[in-house]
Amino acid sequence: MGESFYYSGTLLVMRDAAHKRIIEEERETGRLLISLYGRIIFYAGPTFSNGRMVIGPTTSKRMDKFLEYTLSKGVIATIGKGERTQEAIEAIKKYKAPYLVAPSGCAAYLSEKILEWKIVAFQELGPEAIYEINVKDFPLIVTIDCNGNTIRQNG
Amino acid sequence: MKIIRNRAIYEEVQEKLEEINTNLNSKIQQLFENYTGPFANEIRENTKIAREKKLPLCQDTGIVEFFVFKPYDLSFEEPLHRTLYRVVKDTYEKNGYRKSTVLDPLYSRINKMDNLPAIIHEFEIETSDELEIWMIAKGGGSENLSALYIIPPSSTEDDVINIVVQHILKNGPNACPPINVGIGIGGTADMAILISRLALFTDEYFPRLPYLESYDDLAKKLHLLINELRIGVQALGFGPTCQSVKVYAYPTHIATLPIAISVDCYLSRTGRVIING
Repeated sequence: MGESFYYSGTLLVMRDAAHKRIIEEERETGRLLISLYGRIIFYAGPTFSNGRMVIGPTTSKRMDKFLEYTLSKGVIATIGKGERTQEAIEAIKKYKAPYLVAPSGCAAYLSEKILEWKIVAFQELGPEAIYEINVKDFPLIVTIDCNGNTIRQNG
Repeated sequence: MKIIRNRAIYEEVQEKLEEINTNLNSKIQQLFENYTGPFANEIRENTKIAREKKLPLCQDTGIVEFFVFKPYDLSFEEPLHRTLYRVVKDTYEKNGYRKSTVLDPLYSRINKMDNLPAIIHEFEIETSDELEIWMIAKGGGSENLSALYIIPPSSTEDDVINIVVQHILKNGPNACPPINVGIGIGGTADMAILISRLALFTDEYFPRLPYLESYDDLAKKLHLLINELRIGVQALGFGPTCQSVKVYAYPTHIATLPIAISVDCYLSRTGRVIING
């Protein structure tokens, strides 16, 4: 609990509107638009400045109502900022999918950690589209572990 | 009647919008000088990279709000809102600041991709030749903490303290602490919220608004109590929880006591320009 580490690999960037859309589309078509199996979701909405993707975490709590759904589709961890509801902590325990935070308000710094990006779905949503990004040495801290222990209750 | 050139307004506001989005003010940098907790390095590096490479400090560059203090006998070459909308649209496009406004808030939520409208409040003033434009660009994370409580007029200072501290305890972790807290007490519901926004601006700015008063002792008490919550930098339990608290008060109705809370994140992207006719 509270371990900080640097992650290198891919992340799936999605937030409020994309969660809502993906769930609605599955309900209508019976198919999941993109596979979430084995993915790490980063709750964020980037902007593009000087040819870079400038990005940082958004408030995770807003995605708590979608967490059970995404974890049930195979998501292995989520990244954002702030605390989560008890309901979300229960889902984290059930699926053994830890919650991590990235530094917020540090988007210029994080832009240097992004090697490449592409739009996966919902381009028309602009900053709320789903992106896949490839990051190197991306700083993270575990604030809810897969047993549901939280950083502030321990520290 | 004096006329202000709208070009001058455009240029000054543009420069200030770019400054607040890329340059963390030195007072806040000092606050982090002795901070050694989690993400200390990331926060310091971010400040440096944003300034050197002219990148936004945060990807959420907000809906821009303007508070305009305008001498009553001053006029413009075109409507002021037109100039302010144009400068926001151009500055956000040119610098790649995020377009964060959606047109229809409840149903389609289609992104306008121009970050308009800006929110503009105008106040007429009697005693100056200068046009003052205050601006704040704060993200949705801290904006979601805005709150209005209407409490009985017989309430005490302790009741107010309790409301504010409980609100921050519950929601503070989501607003990128160490936070800035603006409290508006009195007025009507809308006025309480409005003065709580003005209270997010740092010390050297006092709004030229008749009847407005500052409750400094209450602000000090709240500042101490909020820091005692130990939410900490980035809500990770280390370092300060709160940078500033300001409380503004306004006359109110005998039956009522509105308490408004506004919160800004640690970046405090606020600025002011003064333009002479």
